[in-house]
Formats: sequence, structure tokens, C-alpha cells
Amino acid sequence: MEKTRMKRFLFFSIPIIISLLSAEAGSDQEWASLKEAAKNIRSVKSEFLQKRILPILTKPLRSEGRVFFQTPGSLRWEYLNPLRSVMLQKGDTIRLYHFSEGEWKPEMTQAVEVRRMVIAEISRWFQGRFDESKIFKNLYVPGPPVRILLTPKEGVDKFIRRIEIFPGTRPGVIERVEIEEPGGSRTSIEFRKTEINPNLPSEIFEKP
Amino acid sequence: MIRRKILFIGLLGSLFQIFLGCVPLTKTILSPGSPEDLTTCTNVFPVGPWESVHKIEAVITGGVSFSLLGVTRGDPNKRRLHSFLLTPEGFILFEGLLGEDGMTIQKAVSPFDSPAFAGGLMEDVKGLFLPPPGKPARWGRTADGTRVCLWEGPDGFETEFWEAKDQDRQILLRDDLGEVIKEVSLKGPFVNGLASYIELRASKPLPYKLKMTLLQISP
Repeated sequence: MEKTRMKRFLFFSIPIIISLLSAEAGSDQEWASLKEAAKNIRSVKSEFLQKRILPILTKPLRSEGRVFFQTPGSLRWEYLNPLRSVMLQKGDTIRLYHFSEGEWKPEMTQAVEVRRMVIAEISRWFQGRFDESKIFKNLYVPGPPVRILLTPKEGVDKFIRRIEIFPGTRPGVIERVEIEEPGGSRTSIEFRKTEINPNLPSEIFEKP
Repeated sequence: MIRRKILFIGLLGSLFQIFLGCVPLTKTILSPGSPEDLTTCTNVFPVGPWESVHKIEAVITGGVSFSLLGVTRGDPNKRRLHSFLLTPEGFILFEGLLGEDGMTIQKAVSPFDSPAFAGGLMEDVKGLFLPPPGKPARWGRTADGTRVCLWEGPDGFETEFWEAKDQDRQILLRDDLGEVIKEVSLKGPFVNGLASYIELRASKPLPYKLKMTLLQISP
């Protein structure tokens, strides 16, 4: 069961193999400074543009959305178009909704468990807790560009190849995430208009 | 009083439409179709290789609903379809191939991994984007000018295609008893034979409804 869930998660999150051989692991000091920067983050508000590249499509599939994060464990990951949907995390409670026929409806199907695992993973990224994932190994690559490379821990790279997280120039800000799957599928998420430590009402993490 | 008359006329109209949808085409009076009508029977489906992205809103048994993205690549000449269903995040829930050798499921996550579900899904995709094989058994026009084409399947099932003068289109699938089991409404504008909006209502064996909005098409 656990293995299946992990496979599904990896399948979703998507991948990598970076040129691990050419990558140089950063020093413990650099790694620590990255985590230290994230420690100063209490909340984040950002918009994102997601491009999904599938080998059968000549044009990438574009989605737009926004994300809200607040320590210690609140996250709102919301797609505004072409489909409206939202994943909400507050503490250990994670809920998913989609907007259909003029109202928000709880998500009942579609790999909900997998998506819950994903939101928990993203929540860790915003806190710089890359080394706490049970699914990925992490590597600090000094670059340029500086990036954090996540690779699946077990032999499940047939579903996922790698995830690369590119920190921005501002401490603690994530600029871009690249996810690679075997078979040529990729996902790129670019964050923009990022605000650090804005005041966020608690209901933003509770209601769709 | 006038309002009641209007309501009555509206009701009559609705009943007529329902009645029309329930009467097998074999019992509908058609003026003989021209050779041009026969050509257009198949031209209402995409011609040549294409790829599309749809927003899909589905309501299944028990009122459970979900929203997905549907990616399809088709080659009508080879009667080949390659379809994906994705969550809004891009997670691939289903990947299926339909070709001359039959159907192959490449990837499937529950509940799309059940053979019945996967088979039904690809049947729907085929019914929406590929004309039935062979030549229509009957074609022609109704009294109001609606163009109609009928294909007979080997299992006694029939597929009817209706195109009104306003260009809105309808596909009906009837079982061997002549009962409509799937009804597809196609709304324009049409791009390379693909409707901008599709609504599919299935009644048998399980009822469900799909609403599909065209987001992207190539070439």
C-alpha cells in the first residue's frame, strides 16, 4: 500500500536525474545558510505560472494560480485557470476542492491521497526543510544557478526522475521549480510577484 | 393568460424535442440525402491529425463530480487516438491508446484503472472524435432541413448524427432496443471539426454527464 502511494506520488510529482555526476554538492555552510534564510519566513504570497510539457502536445499546457504559505504548516495552493481547484493545508488537515457548476465542491476522487502528499512536500520546501522528506534525497548544487536537487530515494525512478528547486536572489524565495518525468514529460512552475511575510487571514487556509 | 400560452407552447416544444430524440431514426421521415450530404456525414468529425486540450467537468453516479484536463491526439486516417486525463496539477490519471489493434491502457490511477471504466472512457473519446466506421446506412434531411446520418453497428446499436441549420450538432447512440443510451450535444464555433463545447449525457449502464470545453487545439 505504502509502495503504491509512493509510486503514485512520484508519478505525479515528476522528476529527474540531473547530471548528478557533474553536480557539486555545496558545503554544509551553504546548505545551512539556505535553511537559515527560510527560517526568517513567516508567510509567503505568490502567483505562479505552470507549464506542463507532454511529448504528444506541440504546445505546453499552461495553468495559472497562486500560493499562500504561513508557518508552521498552513498552505493554500490554488489554480485559477484553466481549471479552478484548491488544496488547503492547515496543520495536519488537508482538504481539496474544485470549482464546478458555480460552486466549490470537495474533491472525492483523483488520487486525493497523492495530492495530499504533494502539498505536504511543497509546504516543507517553503520552510527550507528539504532534508525532511521521506521520499526524496536532497542535494545543494552551488551552480550557478544555485539549486536544490531532489531525487527519489528508492528505485522508483521509472515514475520520477528529478525535481530541481531554484531559489531566488532574495533569501528564502523560490523562483522556479522544474520537474522531470521519464518519457520526456516535464513541468515547470515559475513563481512571481512573491511577497515575503505578508499578513494573511487564517480563513485563507480554511475555506476554498 | 398570454404567459400561460407561452409556457404551454414552450412545454410542447420541449416535449417534441424529447420525443424526437427518442424516436429511432429508422422511423423518422427523411427526404433522400444528396451525395454531398453523404460526404458531410463524416466531415463533421476532425479531418487529419490533430491534438486538443479540453476542460472536463464530470458528474457521475451519486452526484460525485470532478474536474479534469483531457489531452487527446487523433489521427482519423489511421483511426488512432491517444488520450490523457490529468488533474489540475498535471498528474496523469489515465493514458490510453486506441488504434487498429484495439485499446491499450498505458497508465491508470484508481478509479480509471478498472477495465470497465477505462474501456468506457476510450469508447466515449472514440464516439466524440472519430466517425463510426464505414458508410452511413441512411442519410437525408428532416422536414425542417436538419441533416441526419445514421450508422448501424454490428451489435444492433446505432449512431445518429443530427446537424441543425444553426450548425449545432447532436450525436445519439441507441442500443439494440432503439433506446438512446448516450446523447452528445456539440456547440460551435467549430475549429478543425472540433466543437468549442461538448456535453455528453449517458443513461446506461450507469448515468453520468460530461461537460467539455475546448481550451487548445493544434494544428
